[in-house]
Amino acid sequence: MGLLMTIATRIGRLLFLLLFAAVGTILLVRFAPGFFSDPREMDAKYAQAVRSEAEAENHDQESIHLILNREFKSWLRGDFGESRQYHVPVAKLIGARVRVSAALLAKGILCGWLLAVCAALPVSSLRKYRTLWGLPFTIILAIPTAAMATACILAQVGGPVLVLSLLIAAREFKFLRSLLEGVWRSPHLLQGKAQGLTARALVRMHILPNVAPQLRTLTTLSIVTALGALVPIEVIFTVAGVGQLAWFAVMNRDLPVLVAISLLMGSVIGLAGMLSARAVNLEAA
Amino acid sequence: MKKRAPAVILLLLLIGGTLVLLLTPYDYTFQDRNAIMAPSSALHWTGTDELGRDRTVRVAAALFIGLTGATAAAAITTLIAASFGLLAAFSPRSIAAILMFLSDVFLSLPWLFLLMMVRSMLPLTASPLQTAVATFLVLAALGWPACARAIYRGAADLRSAEWMIQGYACGLKTRQLVRLHLVPHLRPLIFPQFLICVPAFIMAEANLGALGLGVGEPMPSWGGMLQELDNSALLAQSHWVYLPIVLLVVVLLIFESFVSEVDTNA
Repeated sequence: MGLLMTIATRIGRLLFLLLFAAVGTILLVRFAPGFFSDPREMDAKYAQAVRSEAEAENHDQESIHLILNREFKSWLRGDFGESRQYHVPVAKLIGARVRVSAALLAKGILCGWLLAVCAALPVSSLRKYRTLWGLPFTIILAIPTAAMATACILAQVGGPVLVLSLLIAAREFKFLRSLLEGVWRSPHLLQGKAQGLTARALVRMHILPNVAPQLRTLTTLSIVTALGALVPIEVIFTVAGVGQLAWFAVMNRDLPVLVAISLLMGSVIGLAGMLSARAVNLEAA
Repeated sequence: MKKRAPAVILLLLLIGGTLVLLLTPYDYTFQDRNAIMAPSSALHWTGTDELGRDRTVRVAAALFIGLTGATAAAAITTLIAASFGLLAAFSPRSIAAILMFLSDVFLSLPWLFLLMMVRSMLPLTASPLQTAVATFLVLAALGWPACARAIYRGAADLRSAEWMIQGYACGLKTRQLVRLHLVPHLRPLIFPQFLICVPAFIMAEANLGALGLGVGEPMPSWGGMLQELDNSALLAQSHWVYLPIVLLVVVLLIFESFVSEVDTNA
């Protein structure tokens, strides 16, 4: 009963968060300069009177309560309204792109983690030159994602997955190394070493089970990091994913698309946070 | 000496930048139309860009604009975070829950997406100085939630410390306790938050600028200068195009070492 209550409270909190994030997005976009721009205003074939009428009509149709009403109705219908720039239902527009972005995120996070674990395990066990071995990751962390993506295009090496993997690897390496350094120094591991256990056996039987809860939390943080990097990576590599759509929507004040993307990203981050908290609680129990 | 090396490098960079800005006869907007995309020469040490503007001067100006903007934004964001965290820690539990929920709303979206959305909603046709101020103000306004959470946690732990209870028992008011005792105790937590924010903001400005949402031209910024990397014709002509990114990485590494040092000392 307690477990169900906790889950219900967390889901309720997540829904509230999403509602606030969506309403915040609506208010932000509604009051943004250029929100009322209409293609007819730029077209010389329309008389000034027609253009003024179009502007007035837009103002009438875009009052806050009407927008909120329209958005909530579109959520209930499940199509999330119609895109202002593409004139297609937002759900249809995002649906195809979600698959592209999800594949990119999955590959990037997986490769990044593999790289981070493979580097952090040996480096954390070293007694000397730890900083030197970790230097490549520190340098990668100091390069803006957009610059890294541009450099990849210029050098014609790798692609979006490589950039995302490097970013995740650099970030996770930092945490993993400090986590594993503590574990390597723990008395039971020193005892295991003294008894002649191989490094492989130590990692499999003692280190990984010990750091599993922290690894789960770090994995959820990787999702947040990867989502943040999605926009510059997809824009620079022209990947037709959610990040690129978000970029176009922001530049064109496409309110329904922006609200849908805010809800989508908020849900992913909220669920990731919930899962990580749940995992930690279970582990503690 | 080893620990002071990053600070010395930063100081040297700032002195070098100041000298370049003071001694060069032209400013960052000056266009030498006879030297478009010129290579390195005695007149233009690191060459010029596609508009004939001196790269050394622009990089030096970008260094100062980036550092000043990011430091000011980090100071504002730390102040907001400290006020928010302390307010939540000394409020009734229901108010604290509402305040922390508010910070969660900001944290529920990826930072760069949120930044991009807010920055693009501000006028894009403003003057370069206004766009610079707007960019760094947006960073300051959106960077506080994670810091506020950390400060709230630290202040909430200290609130129940024995010396705080003793202070209350001696008749000190909450305001006096916070000002005289709590804030000095929280300094080791607040200062690293500020230090973390500076490179994070420099990086965010660079990413925003690369997407065309940073500081407006002709004012130089890290992000704006990164856009030069898109120009393959320029890249083929001069390796000095990479100077801004190299300097940016050096500056970020310096701040990273400051943060690591503070962490180690803590």
